Amino acid sequence: METIKHMRVARATTSSRIAMTFGIMVLFALVAMPWWATSGNIRWAIELCCYIAIAQMWNLLAGYAGLVSVGQQAFIGVAGYLLFVLAQNFGVNPFVAVFLSVIAPAVLAVPTYLLLRRLDGPYFAIGTWVVAEAVRLATSNIDYVNAGAGMTLRVMTQYSQHEREVAFVLLCAVLLLATIGGSYWLLRSRHGLALTAMRDNPVAAASQGVNVGRLRFCIFVAAAVGTGLAGAIYYMAQLRITPGAGFDPFWASMSIFIVMVGGIGSIEGAIIGALIYFFADRLFGEFGSAYLIVLGLLTLVIALYARGGVWGLLQKLGDHPWFPVRRKLIVEDKA
Amino acid sequence: MSDQVLLSARGLTKRFGAVTVVDDVTFDVARGEVLGILGPNGAGKTTLFNLISGDHAANGGELSLDGSHLQAEPPFKRCQRGIGRTYQVPQPFGDMTAFENLMVPAMLSAKMKEAEASDYCAGILADCGLLARANTLAGGLTLLDRKRLELARALAGKPKLLLLDEIAGGLTDAEGAELVELIRRLRDRGVTIIWIEHVLHALMAVADRVLVLNFGVKIAEGTPDTVMQDPEVQRVYMGIEA
Repeated sequence: METIKHMRVARATTSSRIAMTFGIMVLFALVAMPWWATSGNIRWAIELCCYIAIAQMWNLLAGYAGLVSVGQQAFIGVAGYLLFVLAQNFGVNPFVAVFLSVIAPAVLAVPTYLLLRRLDGPYFAIGTWVVAEAVRLATSNIDYVNAGAGMTLRVMTQYSQHEREVAFVLLCAVLLLATIGGSYWLLRSRHGLALTAMRDNPVAAASQGVNVGRLRFCIFVAAAVGTGLAGAIYYMAQLRITPGAGFDPFWASMSIFIVMVGGIGSIEGAIIGALIYFFADRLFGEFGSAYLIVLGLLTLVIALYARGGVWGLLQKLGDHPWFPVRRKLIVEDKA
Repeated sequence: MSDQVLLSARGLTKRFGAVTVVDDVTFDVARGEVLGILGPNGAGKTTLFNLISGDHAANGGELSLDGSHLQAEPPFKRCQRGIGRTYQVPQPFGDMTAFENLMVPAMLSAKMKEAEASDYCAGILADCGLLARANTLAGGLTLLDRKRLELARALAGKPKLLLLDEIAGGLTDAEGAELVELIRRLRDRGVTIIWIEHVLHALMAVADRVLVLNFGVKIAEGTPDTVMQDPEVQRVYMGIEA
């Protein structure tokens, strides 16, 4: 029997240090955009940040908690609407209201989860879609929020274009820190260990001390909050929200595409997938339905032949994580 | 005696539809004891473990650990209360390394801090002969190493009651002897063990008492020698007709 005299646990890698440095540089570049980029580029950056955040939250849900939701648009819509109501109807500063707007998805997520928690796999997915549709239909019939006609964020006219752009890039930086940074922090913590175990084998995880039910609930609510914040920022930048847009099932299909193509169950995968989707949309969006068919086929090919997505393929070339969540045991001296 | 009892089962019953898999089984396990469980395939041994660990809910009977009831508690709570288990068919966290597999119960069941858990888990990996595979993904381990990992992971939660489900199958004589030594060491440290095993010489070398099940019913209980002399056990388990 071996006896260990000295050991340590390594977590950071050279690749992660490079990625961290690059990430910080990207964040600074993002925040500085109003001084070097065009308004069009800033709009693109806001959109991309929202895609990354929404996909990252869906990745936490489906990739770790095993909760495949096709109804995340419910949280995008309710957060967007609460922002518009607070800013437009109650006179709350919109840049404060955007943070308050996450109350709506959090409040909606609790009964949604309690209602759907006993459903498995496809039944859970259908349940989330039903909830999102129900919320969309309800919103379409509430006169207070202009029913189907939607709302416009007129209060934003009090700010100059430059002020708005500065605020938006700061909000995007906060969004990325909260969703990517939050996921990274979570996955490195003891809760991340539990979450990864739950992803691999929920029954065995429960028998090893993991409170699977509570963890799933917390992830569902946290993902709703993160998704809602992204939705609120997105529609704040659009200056307009309607039930058809805010609760559009497109948000769910986009999340599924991004995470599956990028690589489910990894922070890197959601980022790569979002970049692929964003640039594919910019470059080939003009081809309309043909472009959507190609995206669908790409998802199918990945699902059939490369379950780990693009990140999984890159990992086969070498283990170089950008966000290392593993614990590597290094025995330095043994007898 | 009651102070000495760690686990108490009274009239434990489990039915799957019309089939009664565990039928009114009553037994006690004393602290520091090694209780062996024998029985032919389908006798209800693993189901009995599932009832104790909470993977299955009992249809009847009572179960208590340290004098307080267990029935209402979910599996994670039972684990946190000190029940560690292995599965007959290994259930590793396949995309986590062997070391990370152990960190799960160490941090979430035994509630150790990261540094303490790391030290502890590394020690267990060494004890179970898995140190060289510490950073190998559990899904890539051989069946034998997966079985070792099952035991190591169960130990990482610092259990006071350890449920071992056929962990000696497939081991060589030397490995079996090492396993028996490990189990003795655990018992000496005060861990109570219930061990389902078909490798009789390994079980008999370490068990203080043996309980025999057949079609879910307890047919014998006692010291290994007495139980193995029981004509009913010989008939059911070894096919020896009196």
